[in-house]
Amino acid sequence: MSSIPNKPIAGHRGHAPEIHAGHGHHDEGSFLAPKESLAKTVMSWVWTIDHKKIGVMYMVATLFAFLLGGLAALALRLELLEPNILVNGKMTGQLFGDLTLTRADGSSTTITGNNIYNRLYTLHGAIMVFLFIIPAIPAALGNFFLPLMLGAKDVAFPRLNLLSWYVYVAGGVMAVASIVMGGVETGWTFYTPYSSTTSYGATTLMILSVFVLGFSSIFTGINFVVTVHKLRMPGMGWFDMPLFVWATYATAIIQVLATPVIGITVLLLAIERVFHIGIFDPALGGDPVLFQHFFWFYSHPAVYIMILPGMGIISEVIATHARKKIFGYKGVAFSSIAIAAISFLVWGHHMFTSQGEVASVIFSAITFLVAIPTAIKVFAWVATLYKGSIAWNTPMLYALVFLFTFTIGGLTGPPLAVLSADLHLHDTYFVVAHFHYVMMGGTVMALLAGLHHWWPKMFGRMYNENAARLGCLLVFIGFNVTFFTQFYLGLHGMPRRYATYVPEFQTGHQISTVGSWILAAGLFTHMFTFLASLFGGRKAPDNPWGSLTMEWDTETPPIEHNFHHEPVWTHGAYDYDDTIPPRTREGEWPLPPPLPAGAKAH
Amino acid sequence: MVTRMATTPNPTRNLPGAPARLLGAAAAALASSGACADQGPVSRLLFPKSAATYASDNDDVMLFVFWVSLFFFVLLMGLMAYWAVRYRRRPGVPQQRSPSHSLALELLWSGIPLILCCVMFWWGFKIYMHMHVTPAKAEVVNVTAKKWAWTWEYGNGGSSTETVRLADKESPVYVVPQGRPIKLLMHSQDVIHSLYIPAFRKKIDVMPNRYTTYWFNATEPGDYNLFCAEYCGDQHSQMMALIQVKPEAEYQAWLAELVNTDRFSLLDLGKKLYITKGCNACHSVDGSAGTGPSWKGIYMKEHEMTDGARLTADENYIRESILVPAAHIVKGFANQMPSFQGQLKDRELGALITYIKSLSDNGKDEVDRAVKQDDAEREERMKSKGKPNAAAPQDAPAAPVAAR
Repeated sequence: MSSIPNKPIAGHRGHAPEIHAGHGHHDEGSFLAPKESLAKTVMSWVWTIDHKKIGVMYMVATLFAFLLGGLAALALRLELLEPNILVNGKMTGQLFGDLTLTRADGSSTTITGNNIYNRLYTLHGAIMVFLFIIPAIPAALGNFFLPLMLGAKDVAFPRLNLLSWYVYVAGGVMAVASIVMGGVETGWTFYTPYSSTTSYGATTLMILSVFVLGFSSIFTGINFVVTVHKLRMPGMGWFDMPLFVWATYATAIIQVLATPVIGITVLLLAIERVFHIGIFDPALGGDPVLFQHFFWFYSHPAVYIMILPGMGIISEVIATHARKKIFGYKGVAFSSIAIAAISFLVWGHHMFTSQGEVASVIFSAITFLVAIPTAIKVFAWVATLYKGSIAWNTPMLYALVFLFTFTIGGLTGPPLAVLSADLHLHDTYFVVAHFHYVMMGGTVMALLAGLHHWWPKMFGRMYNENAARLGCLLVFIGFNVTFFTQFYLGLHGMPRRYATYVPEFQTGHQISTVGSWILAAGLFTHMFTFLASLFGGRKAPDNPWGSLTMEWDTETPPIEHNFHHEPVWTHGAYDYDDTIPPRTREGEWPLPPPLPAGAKAH
Repeated sequence: MVTRMATTPNPTRNLPGAPARLLGAAAAALASSGACADQGPVSRLLFPKSAATYASDNDDVMLFVFWVSLFFFVLLMGLMAYWAVRYRRRPGVPQQRSPSHSLALELLWSGIPLILCCVMFWWGFKIYMHMHVTPAKAEVVNVTAKKWAWTWEYGNGGSSTETVRLADKESPVYVVPQGRPIKLLMHSQDVIHSLYIPAFRKKIDVMPNRYTTYWFNATEPGDYNLFCAEYCGDQHSQMMALIQVKPEAEYQAWLAELVNTDRFSLLDLGKKLYITKGCNACHSVDGSAGTGPSWKGIYMKEHEMTDGARLTADENYIRESILVPAAHIVKGFANQMPSFQGQLKDRELGALITYIKSLSDNGKDEVDRAVKQDDAEREERMKSKGKPNAAAPQDAPAAPVAAR
C-alpha cells in the first residue's frame, strides 16, 4: 500500500502493525458514497448522525452565509465610493436612492437611501457574525476533524449534533426572513434604546433568531467538551492532543459559558419591545448601558469563539507544512486556555466612552493581559518556521498570510486598549479595520488555510494548486488594500456606520472600495477552484501532505466509521523528526528525505 | 499657543520608573523627530490636525504604540519571510532538527510584551484622567442631542444661528474660545449619541438617562468637524456640526450676537431654526421624501393619521407636532420625532410656524401679516433696549401665537 515502510523507528513508538490484524469493516465505503437510490441518499444526509456529514452540511450553510454577507459588503463599499453631495441642487453619489413602497390599502412608506444602507450593514454584520464566523470553523471543520484527530468514531452526542445543525438552519431562516419582512437597521450589536424603540422592520424576529442560533452554538460546545474529555483514543493524553483540538476545546468552553448570556439578553430585549416592560429603555425606566454590559459579556468572549479555532488551524497547518513540532507546544496550548479565561473579564473595553471612569480603568488594565497569550502564539508560530522544511503550497501560504494580517490585527489592539487613545479611535474606521484584520485577516484566512489543507481529506479530490495560489495572492492584496486604508480613515476621524461622509475622506474610501473588488475576485477564484475540484479534481491520496495527525491515517475520504480499527495512540502529532507519516506515497507531495534513524536533536 | 516643542517632554513625567522613562523619552523623541512644526512628519501622516491641549498628549501615546508595533511587526515579518525563503522545501534537501521549545525564549517573549503593555496602560490611563476630569472654572455649554441634530445652548441662553454646508446637508456652526476650558454638559432626548471631535481626539457618549460631560481646551483657531459617533438611525451620518475655535474677543462678540435674535425677521429666523434645530434632518422643504413629511405645501393640508383620524395641518396642529410630536403621527411615518418642549422661545416657535406657512401657497398672506407685525414689535424692543428694567426681548409674545 505504502512505498515507505510504515514501521516503528528505534526508540520511538511508531505504528504497531499487529493492530491492523484484527477484523474490521474493510468493505465499508466512503462517508460520501451515494446509497442505492437518490431518495435514500438524500435521507442519508437529512437524518445523518455522522459528524462528517454534519460538518459538510455546516460547511455548505456557513459558506452560503459568507457569500450573502460578502455580497452585502460589496454593496456597502460601492455606496461609499462617493459621498452624497449636492451638485447644482441635485444629490449625487448615492447608490441607494429613496424607495417608496405602496401598500395594498394605498398608503405608502418611504425608505430613505440611508435606511437601505443601514439595513445592509446590519445584514452584513449579523450574518457574518452569527451565521458565518461563529459557527464556520468549530461547527464545520471542527465537527469533521475533531473526532478524527482524537481517533474517535463520532462526537459524544451525535443526535444533539444533528439537532444543532437544524437549529442553526432555523435561526438562519429567521434571520433572513427578518430581512425580507421589513429589514433590520439596528446594527448587529442591537444597542438600546435604539433597538428597543426603532419602529422599522422586523427587529424582534432578528433578535429571536439570535436567541435560537445561540442554542445551536451551545449544543456544539457541549458536544466538543465531552468528546475531548471522553473520546480520546487509548493512550492519548491531554498533552498529546493536536493544537486544533486544544483550541476547539477552549472555544467550546466559552460557547457553553457565554452563549446563555446573549440568549437571556436578547430575550429581555424582545420582551421590552413586545410587552414594553422597561429593562433597557430609559423611557420605561430601564438603563441602556446595562444592555451594553450584557451584550459584551457574551460578545467579547464570542470574539475568541471566532478566532481561537482559527489559531488552532494555523498550528496544524504550520506544523504539517513546515514539518516541525510547534515551538513551545505547551505554551501554545495553555495560551488558548488563558485567552478563554481572560476573555470573560474584558467586555468593558467596548464601553470606554459610555461606562464610568473606574470601570474603564480596570477593563483597560485587564485587556492588556489578553495581548500576552496572543503574542506567545504568534512568536511560537514564527519560531516554528526556523529550520523547517517549508512547502509553498496554498495552505502554508495562507498560514503565512494569516501571520501577516493577524499580526497587524493583534498589534492594532493595544491602541484601542489604551484608554485615552480609545476615546479618539472608538467607533471609527480604525476599529472597523482592526476587527476585520482579526476576524477576516485572522479567522477567514485560517479558514481558507484549513479548507485548502483538509479539502483533499474531506472530498477525496485535489484542487488546482496554481489557481488556489492565484486566489490566495488576490485575497492577500485585496484584503490589505481594502482594510489597511481604513486604519488611515479611522485615525483621521472617519466614524463607522456612516452612509455618507465629508468629502475629505473620499480618496481613502475609493481605495478601500477598489480593494474590495480585488478581494472578491480572489474569493470567487477559490469558489470556482473548489467547485472544479469536486467535479473533475485528481483523486486525492490518503495523506497528501505527509501529516502525522490521526485524520490522515484513514481512507480518503474517510469511511463512515472513520477508522477500520480502533486507533491507538502511537506517535506525537508533531514528531516529524522521528516518525514517518502513515499512508504517504512517494511523488504525491515532495516530502523531504527522512532524518537518519536514531539521530538526536538535543 | 501650545507647540509640539513644549509638549514633547510631558509624556515622560507620566511614566513609572526609569526604563519606562527612557522608553517614553525615546518615543517622544521619535514623535518629534525632525520637526519644529506643531506636529512631526509621522504624526502629520497619521493624525489630523490637533487642536486641544490633551490632543497632542494623546498623539504621543499613540505614536509610542505605533513605533513599538512597527518594531515587532518588522521583526516578526522579517524573520517569517527570511525563514520561509531560507528553509523552503527543495528536492533532496533533508529536514533539519532544531529545539522545539526553550523556556528562556518563551519567558522573554512573554515578559517583554507584558512590560510594554504595562507602560502603555499607565501612560494611557494618565492622559485619560486628564481628558476626563474637568478643570474648575470651565465655562458650561448645554448640549442636547436628538435624532439627528446637535443643539448647543450657551450660558447666556443663546444658540447658534449660523450654518454651513457639510457633506450633503446644512449643519450648525458652534464657536468656542481658544485657550480656556469649556465643559459640554450633554444629554440625549432619545437614543444614545456620541459627540466626537477628531481634532480634539475625544468622543464621549451622550445618554438619554443621565448627563455626561466633555471638556476641552482648544489650542488652535480653525474649523473642525463634529460627528455623531454612536449609530442613531437614518441620518446618523449627517448628524454633524462645525466647531470654530476663535480668539476670546471674537468669541465674546459672537456670543453676544446669539441672544440678539431680533436681528432676523420672523421668516428669516424660521429659516435659520429649520437648520440649527435639526428640522432639516427629516423634513424637506422641496417636497422630496424624508423621515418626516415634507413641509412643502403642508400648511392647511388634510392628512390621515396612524389612528385613522383625518386632521388639517393648521397652526394648532403644527404647534402640537413640534411640542408633543407623538400625539398625532401622519400615516406612513414612524413615531421618531423628539419633543421640542422648552427648547424654543415663543418667538422662535412662531418663526418656525411662519416658515412652514411660507412654504404653502395658501399661507403667503398670513406670513406677510405676521412678519410685518413682528417687524413692528422688534423695532419697539430695539428702541427700548438699554432702558433700565426693560423686558427681555424673548419674553415678548410672538406674533402668530398672539394672532390666533
